[in-house]
Amino acid sequence: MDIMSNLALGFSIALSPYTLMLAVAGCFLGTIIGALPGLGPSNGVAILIPITFTLGLDATSALVLMTSVYYGAMYGGRISSILLNIPGDEPALMTTLDGYPMAKAGRAGDALVLSGFASFYGALFATIGLMFLAPLLSRVAYQFGQAEYFALYLLAFCTLGGMASNNQAKSAIAACIGLGIAMIGYDSRGMPRLTGGNLHLFDGIDFLVAIVGLFAIAEVFFFIESHGKKSSIGVKLDKVRIPWKDIYATRWTMFRSSVVGFIAGILPGAGASLGSFLAYMSEKSIAGKDGGFGKGAIKGVAAPEAGNNAAAGGALVPMLTLGVPGSGTTAVLLALLMTLNITPGPTLFTDRPEVVWGLIASLLIANFVLLLMNVPMVKIFVKVLMVPPWILLPGVTMVSFVGIYSLSGSYFDLLLMVGFGVLGYVLRKLDIPTVPVILGILLGGHMEDALRNAMVISGGDFMYLFSSPIAIGLWIAAIVGFVAPMFLRRFLKKPQAVTD
Amino acid sequence: MASDRIFGLVVAVVALAYIAGATQIQTSFLSDPVGPKTFPIMIGTVAALAATFMVLKPDPEPNWPVLRTFGALFFAVVVLVLYAFSLKPMGFIIPTAITAAVLSYQIKPQFAKAALSGVGLSIGLFILFKFALDLGLIGFPKSWTS
Amino acid sequence: MRKNFFKTFAIAATLSMGAPVIATAQAAECIAPANPGGGWDFTCRQIGKIMFDIGAVDKPIQVTNMAGGGGGLAFTNVVAERNEDANLIIAASTATSTRLAQNAYAGMTADQVRFVGAIGIDPGVIVVAADSPFMTLSDLLEAVVADPSSVTFAGGSAVGGFDHMKPLMLLQRAGLTDITTVKYIGLDGGGDAITQTIGGFTQAMTGDMSEIVGFLTSGDVRALAVLTSERVEGFEDIPTAIEQGYDVVAGNWRGLYIPRGVSDETFDLWAGRLQQVADSDEWAEAMAANGLAPFTLVGDDFQAYIDNLIVEIRQMSIEIGVIQ
Repeated sequence: MDIMSNLALGFSIALSPYTLMLAVAGCFLGTIIGALPGLGPSNGVAILIPITFTLGLDATSALVLMTSVYYGAMYGGRISSILLNIPGDEPALMTTLDGYPMAKAGRAGDALVLSGFASFYGALFATIGLMFLAPLLSRVAYQFGQAEYFALYLLAFCTLGGMASNNQAKSAIAACIGLGIAMIGYDSRGMPRLTGGNLHLFDGIDFLVAIVGLFAIAEVFFFIESHGKKSSIGVKLDKVRIPWKDIYATRWTMFRSSVVGFIAGILPGAGASLGSFLAYMSEKSIAGKDGGFGKGAIKGVAAPEAGNNAAAGGALVPMLTLGVPGSGTTAVLLALLMTLNITPGPTLFTDRPEVVWGLIASLLIANFVLLLMNVPMVKIFVKVLMVPPWILLPGVTMVSFVGIYSLSGSYFDLLLMVGFGVLGYVLRKLDIPTVPVILGILLGGHMEDALRNAMVISGGDFMYLFSSPIAIGLWIAAIVGFVAPMFLRRFLKKPQAVTD
Repeated sequence: MASDRIFGLVVAVVALAYIAGATQIQTSFLSDPVGPKTFPIMIGTVAALAATFMVLKPDPEPNWPVLRTFGALFFAVVVLVLYAFSLKPMGFIIPTAITAAVLSYQIKPQFAKAALSGVGLSIGLFILFKFALDLGLIGFPKSWTS
Repeated sequence: MRKNFFKTFAIAATLSMGAPVIATAQAAECIAPANPGGGWDFTCRQIGKIMFDIGAVDKPIQVTNMAGGGGGLAFTNVVAERNEDANLIIAASTATSTRLAQNAYAGMTADQVRFVGAIGIDPGVIVVAADSPFMTLSDLLEAVVADPSSVTFAGGSAVGGFDHMKPLMLLQRAGLTDITTVKYIGLDGGGDAITQTIGGFTQAMTGDMSEIVGFLTSGDVRALAVLTSERVEGFEDIPTAIEQGYDVVAGNWRGLYIPRGVSDETFDLWAGRLQQVADSDEWAEAMAANGLAPFTLVGDDFQAYIDNLIVEIRQMSIEIGVIQ
């Protein structure tokens, strides 16, 4: 295989001092963002995108920085789960179940290091999986015509919608809001649409404006509503050492959880939260009643962290090879790629090998950096939890404003951003997921073009959409993905909506 | 209950307006079989159907904040809108300090600390952009400096 | 790079943000009418860098990105606000002339600026999958003339864009009377168009040489014709359309325009500088690295070339109904 030579190319890019420094900075920043309650990988990456853009980073550097932030946030999420019993982000939710009891029992340091190692294991597993699987998937792309792409986009909406909310109608509305926004402005054939004659709208609504509004500004409103929940560390952080015994005892747990997480990550729309949920539940059933799950079991700490980090890596596979994001954060990363004029998809591997393999190499590097960072520096990250929300959230707002303002220099975009913030607040209040909105804005144009192109090829025959086995399979999967959660929910009690 | 019904109704109305707007889209005479109207109309239809479903089968009522908090949220939105308009004519420092202080106070009502964090964030961030990042940000209104 | 590095680190480590960059207007400025990373950005950065390196200008040329309206925002801005700026150059390509011809810049016309010159071209190509039944350009074109619905072309530009125009120009020469019956789908770049063609979803791909090089080497596709006056160096086995009897030359040229209101001396000055770049070794290297073929046309000759091109594209666009 030429994976080795490709990897060598990747390392030749990622090992430059400059890129390496970006990876370190991204990991550091990402861990902090992940650790802060309320700020997860989606928010973190969303706020930082306009900045990488204004910095004029080249494509590879920007991608390295943002994926380091992504992986870092996935690591960081566990810190507040364990110490505060508040998940730093959605995928870290399951870690609170055994992490906090373990910390209360006086083993906070062990829990942090063990979960850090589990994160490393899961992420490394996923990165290697990505390395082998992604090129294979990109060959599959020759089987994907316009009809198949249309069905694939539909599948992404249906599975994400099916997972993201407890109410399918609400997911559908969220997707339609996004798709409807995507239609505004010139279509691919140069006709202006639904602009109401407003010149600002002729080029459409920038998805970055929507993302920052929905994720960052809406978060500020929630903090105003709750007056910044009290957060203080209730457990003591004792000496930090490496709990070799625990790591050895959980080796198979980590392996199984990584496999489960990685597969969950690859499925379009499932994402990291599902990965950690499935990993935890399967380990719990393997351990049985005597496993001590929920009371500070080491396997209950290792499983969700290995699972969610493996899922985070797995979610990059469909994003890079098919241009269909598997989670909220990868949707934001997809937005970053599009801003950098990189169209993810099967041709990315042949057209821009330096981007793909540079990314994979830097993911490997980021993993080791994060492992090294998270053992000795864990006390520094813990300090970050002390930053009070009344400084943090105004800061986030200002960063969002200047970031968006620097994109276009227009107050119109800022007003739109505030509008999206209000929308995000209302949607989340009503338990309507926001990720399908983002997905709609990102994929709307592509989805419509796939449909229109398919009809050009077939001369207007709608049966062309179901003319290949792959297309039919995708349609069936889409319908199952949308309908199945309704029935599953009757049997399984879901812990919480999955939105990472 | 009521919230879902109201929101569903709003979405349904917007969706119908959207469909109406979509039928007005001009078609160039180089038309493909689908054309520029079909997909927007499809989206509007799905949204209207899902909204109807929401009206008929609403979820339990979410925890809405008390009226006073709504006032605070509305005020925050007004402040952010004013901030958006003032950034260009007023320069960075003063609007940022005021906005940051107001938001800080709204999250935790402690006057001195809020004022301090507003001024601190504003000046700190300005120094960062202007000098560490070497970006041309205008600190004060142009009329002050010239 | 080093400066950027510190910038980035500072930013990342402190959770901060960017701000609008205000360019200083001392040195000459090159506007790339698109986001960083595309062809126009490449033109500005390469030409700007080489002009400074070979001493054609004494200060480094500042590159400004002004994306919007497919280059229309920059065009309007130059015409309306910087019509007499002698220190300004703007990156242009075939897309600029196509959009001007199609009136896509809100009523702006080509004579509102001055086209300085082109110094490289990405030659147009027509490609089919390796297992395609079409062995020559004539096979393909005659099949379309006989039954237009039997062939779909895929290209990297939108409907009515330049990739769409190339097969139409060829088919007109082949005797097709109603070119609106030709099936064309516009995708996100040439790579996608090739993938669709290799997969058998579309029968032919229309694009630029730089887009197909990788696929030619891997043997997945065959090029039926290159749209240049002579065969391209390094690709001597690809016949031109002209030698197969279809008189079409079309490529994506890379060049510059400047504001209308500058003096003839300024025009000649920039034309001279561009010629210097065209003659430099650095440019030869940059072209080779990016799949461009030499195509140097500077000064008044270039203006005449643009005028002809615009007339032809406008006629064709009216015929297929992109414009009225």
